[in-house]
Amino acid sequence: MSTIKRLRRITGEQIPEKEKQARADQINELRRRIETVMSRRPHTATAHPPAHQGRAAELSDLVQGEELENTYGRFFVAHSLHSGSSYHGRRCISEISALDMNAAALLANRPDLSRFHCGDALFLDTETTGLSGGTGTLVFLIGIGWFDNERFVTKQIFARDFSEERASLKFLTDIVREKRFLVTFNGKVFDVGLLTTRFILNRLPDPLSGFPHLDLLYPSRRLLGHRLDNSRLSTLEREVLEFHREDDLPASEIPMRYFNWLRKRDPRLMVDVFEHNRLDVISMAALAVHLAEMTKCDPENEQTGHHDLLAVTRFLLNRGYYTDAKKLLDSLISSEHPMIALEARKKLSLMHKRDGRWNEAIRIWETMLENDPENVFAAEELAKWFEHRAHDFHGAINIVSGILKSSRLSILERDALTHRLCRLRNRTEYTNTE
Amino acid sequence: MSVLSIKELLSRMENDRRFMENVRALKEMPSSEGRFTPFPDWVYPRIQSVLKKRGIFQLYSHQTEAVELIHNHRDVILVTPTASGKTLCYNLPVINRILDEPETRALYIFPTKALAQDQMHEVHSLITDLRTDIKTYTYDGDTPDDARQAIRKQGHVVVTNPDMLHTGILPHHTKWQKLFANLKFVVIDELHIYRGVFGSHLTNVIRRLVRICRFYGQKPVFICCSATVANPKEHAERLLERPVELIEQSGAPRASKTFILYNPPIVNRELGIRQSAMTPARIVATKLIENDVQTIIFATSRLNVEILTKYLKDRFSKGKPVDTHFVTGYRGGYLPNLRRQIEQGLRDRDVMGVVSTNALELGIDIGDLESCIMVGYPGSIASTWQQAGRAGRRTGHSLAIMIARSNPMDQFIVENPGYFFSQSPEHCRINPDNLLILLQHLKSAAFELPFEKGELFGKENLEELLNYLEEKGVLHKVDERWHWTAESYPADEVSLRCINPENVVVVDTTETGSHQVIAEVDWDSAFTTVHDDAIYMVESQQYHVDKLDLERKTAYVRKVDVDYFTDAMTYTNVRVIDSFSSKQRKETIVEHGEVQVVRKVVGYKKIKFYTSENLGYGDVSLPEKDMHTTSYWFTIPRDLLNRLSYTQADLIDGLSGLAYSLHHLAAMLLMADLHDIDRCIGDKSGEWFVRHGTGSRLITASPKITPGMTDIMIDAFDPTVFIFDAYPGGIGFSDLLYEEHDRLLTSARNLIESCPCTHGCPSCVGPVLEVGPAAKETALAIIELITENI
Repeated sequence: MSTIKRLRRITGEQIPEKEKQARADQINELRRRIETVMSRRPHTATAHPPAHQGRAAELSDLVQGEELENTYGRFFVAHSLHSGSSYHGRRCISEISALDMNAAALLANRPDLSRFHCGDALFLDTETTGLSGGTGTLVFLIGIGWFDNERFVTKQIFARDFSEERASLKFLTDIVREKRFLVTFNGKVFDVGLLTTRFILNRLPDPLSGFPHLDLLYPSRRLLGHRLDNSRLSTLEREVLEFHREDDLPASEIPMRYFNWLRKRDPRLMVDVFEHNRLDVISMAALAVHLAEMTKCDPENEQTGHHDLLAVTRFLLNRGYYTDAKKLLDSLISSEHPMIALEARKKLSLMHKRDGRWNEAIRIWETMLENDPENVFAAEELAKWFEHRAHDFHGAINIVSGILKSSRLSILERDALTHRLCRLRNRTEYTNTE
Repeated sequence: MSVLSIKELLSRMENDRRFMENVRALKEMPSSEGRFTPFPDWVYPRIQSVLKKRGIFQLYSHQTEAVELIHNHRDVILVTPTASGKTLCYNLPVINRILDEPETRALYIFPTKALAQDQMHEVHSLITDLRTDIKTYTYDGDTPDDARQAIRKQGHVVVTNPDMLHTGILPHHTKWQKLFANLKFVVIDELHIYRGVFGSHLTNVIRRLVRICRFYGQKPVFICCSATVANPKEHAERLLERPVELIEQSGAPRASKTFILYNPPIVNRELGIRQSAMTPARIVATKLIENDVQTIIFATSRLNVEILTKYLKDRFSKGKPVDTHFVTGYRGGYLPNLRRQIEQGLRDRDVMGVVSTNALELGIDIGDLESCIMVGYPGSIASTWQQAGRAGRRTGHSLAIMIARSNPMDQFIVENPGYFFSQSPEHCRINPDNLLILLQHLKSAAFELPFEKGELFGKENLEELLNYLEEKGVLHKVDERWHWTAESYPADEVSLRCINPENVVVVDTTETGSHQVIAEVDWDSAFTTVHDDAIYMVESQQYHVDKLDLERKTAYVRKVDVDYFTDAMTYTNVRVIDSFSSKQRKETIVEHGEVQVVRKVVGYKKIKFYTSENLGYGDVSLPEKDMHTTSYWFTIPRDLLNRLSYTQADLIDGLSGLAYSLHHLAAMLLMADLHDIDRCIGDKSGEWFVRHGTGSRLITASPKITPGMTDIMIDAFDPTVFIFDAYPGGIGFSDLLYEEHDRLLTSARNLIESCPCTHGCPSCVGPVLEVGPAAKETALAIIELITENI
């Protein structure tokens, strides 16, 4: 008996004829119902390609691009050119084609990026056969893009089958060689790791290992996370770039599209995938420019809200850009939003404290207390200064016992302050008896 | 009270006539001298001097033999007793090679996380003494994420378990490029553990490992260690699929030991009931612990661990401060912290008595204990020696006692000491080409690297299987290569050890507001141990199960103090799907093939502590479990059976008794656990089966057909006895049983005929209260009826 026949017996795969018929009927009925529902909606985004009859001739009929060949064989490359006057969301391409390299270096936390030109950036986003990672996940579509003067160029390297992977990777290598650094969204964890695996599996040198890399996910989280539900590229694109896709293919359906393409070779299956990937690459470029502008600390920039500016300050402080942060905070303390002004004062005072500019710090804390006598932060900081710097325990006690009268204190704050008060009283007694 | 030494205790035992009446064998094993050889000259002097500082001036002869073979790139299997310095056999050549070529990598595979941790310490201390920058790491489920990258790149010696290799390392081999591109050694310890399902899986994991090594241009040396079994070389060669050198002459010195096989007395000859093995275990353990003899007690089930711990705790917490004679339980369900505490307590001699499942059987370091009591035969001779080895690993005289239970396997061992003490008759068997297992690993292998035409993987027709997987849509063939084309991660779908990798957590709800997870139970045992109203025990504390929530995979329990425990009752129903081959013996038809098995927990018994009285029954309502597997069976035509002058009820009892003894004998023949195979009596269509109910045997219609119909007599169908593989798809046991049908029946006749009971007992056809008073006689008559004259 053949191996497969035995296997089918064990797995109980032989479905009795009757059952098989019943199941087929069920499926047909379901199919009919789905078709009825679908036909009522004139045009919706759908996982399945429109039910054309027949078969489109070639991929190049539907996607702008052509077959290329290198030493390792053939593959397909789609390309598009976005002129400076075209728009992506609220941004026009010419506007985004000037990525500030100092800002890019700050975003990537890699000072060496500032030596490069914005045309050296290679934007990259991949489409894969799964999200689980590991060696069994194929990168079948590598979308890349770069600035070309005022224009933005995208190329999409497509392995039409596993056999074209090696040639595709070689093509990517050749392009990487012409660029100086990589820009991705979550590429550190996902895209680059997968590509590295694919290079190893194809016994090719990995051009991406050690290549400078700006992953936009981290700065996006820090700079914009405070006002978004999540930090997915699609959310950022919608909420920040105000770019709305029409009939976009959900990312979760992409692997199945490719598996079906492998079997059926119907180019209509892939059109949406190419489009999805192309838009991802452009959005990434727009996002990079947006983030870079945010960090340029221009409080007059109407585009950037005050909450965003506060996030920028936090980011700058975190990266050690104190001068820029200070400049921003100086302007934010006069914000008409009381919360923003308060937060800016706190941050600024802590900067002064850190740098030993005590007078400036004390001035801020005192102002804060003048504006709001129940401000715990300012009271605590002042008390600390009295105790540890000025060694004026009575001054400290005055402040602490004053703020303890406040009704706004949380239990934790009250505990901490009471503890501080006790310690201060002990210290005064100790110094008195001395 | 003055304290007796172990020698004095032993001579008292030997002079105790009532004790000795039940001793079936008392073997003095003398101490023996070691055989030593100098270090080979290629061993670095700095390694030699570190070893000399630890008192190792020469190697045992088997160590030299092993390290020389390994040094010459030969694959080896080492079979020497506990404490014979096995670990040095691989640590020495591995570390020497790393000193030679610092890029060298080695992979150590241990069957459990605990063992891996323990061995890690050993290598680690050697390396620390060498003051060299050799990095050893354990890589398992507990390894923190931020440490993983460093381990992948820098670990010279990576210590892991088969499960982690299977799901965490092989499918990510590109991240482990550094390891695989330099992998020179693979160490697999406790090789005999990898038999049956686990072994069949491991062979496939090794196939995948070798395949990946080949991709990176490596051909590592395999170093295996095993407990004593009959076919270590054959087993290693089947598992590794390559020739392997055997080393089995130990050069290590041995301390003296007394080994006792004890058979509890028959307390009721009529019913063939022996005293419970727990009773002498409790008495002997008490005596030993009272005299400051540190003792480990192995029980065969978690339940027995808890019961014995409770008995001993009751005994030692009375009148004496608990901490001087502290006794405790130890088993898999305990949380890791508690287990580490107990292990430490054993090493420090704070814990003087520990009751354990086989969880402590393998090399976890618990120091040198002086005596070991095995309550029930551990299931194999190899395990028995390993458990006995936990007492007296290096020092003076030690004692090991194996107390038999009344089941046929225990009785056979204890009544045949020659079988036990002579050369091991036990074989490890695997079936790596079980199509289900093979197929699962083919998927993982394809995920790891595409298959190329002409490649070999297993003994089945690979191309046919690959085409099948292509047809299923998970592989895609292009240019004579098959690539993985599915979104899933195939290794996650396979557990190497059990059928269902899911666990049920046990949550203590005694204190409202602070619910606590107290244990985890694997999915399959959850149905029998934490069903609604079961009494679940941890650390001798009883818990009542208020609710088993299968959807949340949680059992909610609360502390109780009751005088009983619960024992679940299940029914099993088998339907033949296909017969692979068939033969006729007299008028019975003997077959093996594919079956569908449906199992259900229907209720439980409440059993009183100490007296084992049955206090009542309860119902359990849990879903059925359904599986396809392979089975061996034989069908006796009803007309043939009716020629015997017994009532219908007696015939059912006789068949049940026969099935009972065949089940036990089959397990022994296959060196399998009793739970690896199972039995059932019914008809081939699955419409009728014999149900062991509350007190009597019933023939019941399959619940799918007519619930409640119970008055069918045996002449409604031709009864069939099934002995089936408890693993889906089968592990190759059933065709062997089919071949051995005649021998099985002859052995069953010998077992039943020679049993001293009158009407049947747990040692032959099963307890008379369960199989009925006529079972023994009827079973023999049935064997006579269906056996050709021999």
